[in-house]
Amino acid sequence: MVPLVLYVLLASTMFVVGLYGLMTQRNGIKLMMCVEILLNSANINLVAFSAHLPNVDGQVFALFSIALAAAEAGVGFAILILLYRLYGTIELDNINALRW
Amino acid sequence: MIFSDYLSLFGAEALLTGLALLIIVLGLFMKNKNLMGCLSLAGLAVSMYLVMAADQTKGAVFYGTMQIDALSQFFKLVFVTVALIVVIAGLSRYKNHPGQDEFYGLLLLATVGMMVVASSMDLISLFIGFELASLATYALAAFDREKQNLEAAMKYFIFGSVSSALMLFGFSLLYGLTGTTLISGIADAGLADMGPVTLIALLFVIAGFGFKMALVPFHMWAPDTYTGAPTLVTAFLAAGSKKMGFVAAFKVVLIALIALRMEWYMAFAILAAITMTLGNLVAVWQNNVKRILAYSSVAYAGYIAIAFVVVGAAAGQIDGFSIAANGLAGGLLLILAHAFMKTGAFVAAAVVAYMALSDGKDNPDDIEHYAGLGHRAPITAFCMLICLFSLSGIPPTAGFVGKFVLFGSAIDAGLVWLAVLAILNSALSLYYYLRIIKYMYVNEPAGGKISEPKGYVLALVVALVGVLGIGFFPQVFVDLAYRAAEVLLL
Repeated sequence: MVPLVLYVLLASTMFVVGLYGLMTQRNGIKLMMCVEILLNSANINLVAFSAHLPNVDGQVFALFSIALAAAEAGVGFAILILLYRLYGTIELDNINALRW
Repeated sequence: MIFSDYLSLFGAEALLTGLALLIIVLGLFMKNKNLMGCLSLAGLAVSMYLVMAADQTKGAVFYGTMQIDALSQFFKLVFVTVALIVVIAGLSRYKNHPGQDEFYGLLLLATVGMMVVASSMDLISLFIGFELASLATYALAAFDREKQNLEAAMKYFIFGSVSSALMLFGFSLLYGLTGTTLISGIADAGLADMGPVTLIALLFVIAGFGFKMALVPFHMWAPDTYTGAPTLVTAFLAAGSKKMGFVAAFKVVLIALIALRMEWYMAFAILAAITMTLGNLVAVWQNNVKRILAYSSVAYAGYIAIAFVVVGAAAGQIDGFSIAANGLAGGLLLILAHAFMKTGAFVAAAVVAYMALSDGKDNPDDIEHYAGLGHRAPITAFCMLICLFSLSGIPPTAGFVGKFVLFGSAIDAGLVWLAVLAILNSALSLYYYLRIIKYMYVNEPAGGKISEPKGYVLALVVALVGVLGIGFFPQVFVDLAYRAAEVLLL
């Protein structure tokens, strides 16, 4: 059996990758991908803990959070499509009229 | 328990969910959609009754994941009232609008999500309710599909989804440490002896909730989103969605993580201090009224966060329980008061924006358009005046009652520096509220009297009744808040 610490290490690495992407990228779709990476790192944690404990709650939680992530992507892409129609771009640096 | 028992406990949620789905489906077939607003209004009124009638003695149901108690019903009343005021104003704002079914459907679903959070005693149901409310409000923030709306929605979406990811990561660590997702189970697991991982989990949880509550430094999205979103949606975000962050944080931090009291107590003290100071200081420089109100809303998050600090500081003192109950009751009263006065103020801002647009002005939320509002739209101006007085904490209004109880408890808990800072901040906030009032009543009007749309007027009157009702009869609401606060402390 793979030791728990490796799973947690994987999840933490993915979390940091997602966070790094959020801070450096400005393209709407790339940001969406970074958010998905963040959510999935938490899912890996949940499933790994659930298998290790053993206790099924974590897997239930992960299933719910996958479904919610899909819904979130749906709403996010709807907003991005509307943005593209109005601005002709999804580079978010160009969409920053509201400041201060 | 049988099905009808559950229905008597969660009838309000069931009704609103069914109604939201019904409205969305009916919207596909019906040409004249003005009926939808009336349907949602009736549904919200009935669910308000159901919330008040629900039996609070049953304890936790659904395998301990949901609970009906004084706290959950207090917050549900706040959410339903805010939704009710927004729907009343929406009757005017979105009359004959082709997408009004979606507006009301999403609004009701968001309200259900918040109500689920208020009842949750389990991290899974809490997260699902949180996301339901967030997803519906992301879509609402883009509702008018203008450039500003979309930018606001985009920022709200990015920050909101990052915050839920942080929160989920924190929850996953808590689950790994304790082996349970039940809030009461986490509280009993002895987190205090589990080493530094608990601090990382705490950090993620506070960051996740901090975004929703708009605590500095997690507040960056709030002013932009509140300014850019349609004004009625802004009212719903500031008065409803933000309170959902507070109830979730109350449950997770004050019940599940109470063992880490020493760790989060200082963190919240610092967050509260910088949040209220920064919110008020930046609000002074703004010329856009929605932005002023947005920053004042940030400042209010700071005031309410004092409740956490008081609970943390009171534990271990001689009469710690009564001080903690005082502090929490003050925080809850301020939440209730803020719900009424912020919705009132934003609905008044919506009337002015409507007026400015019909005058053919661009930049409809600029403070210049408030010139002579006392002559041009007397009811709106008066309600705005009372809401602004209440926001700055002048008696006899709701804001005064909340601030009095909360700041008083901070002094009792030995947090004199925090109470003094909060009072100084309230004095500072008076400056920018009075500036709006000066425009409304002293400056020369820029045009003739206008007829104020009926829906807006009715919504303003409801908010005004709430603000003054709490101010004139504080005892009823103080009792309610105390009973809710005791749920968290027992």
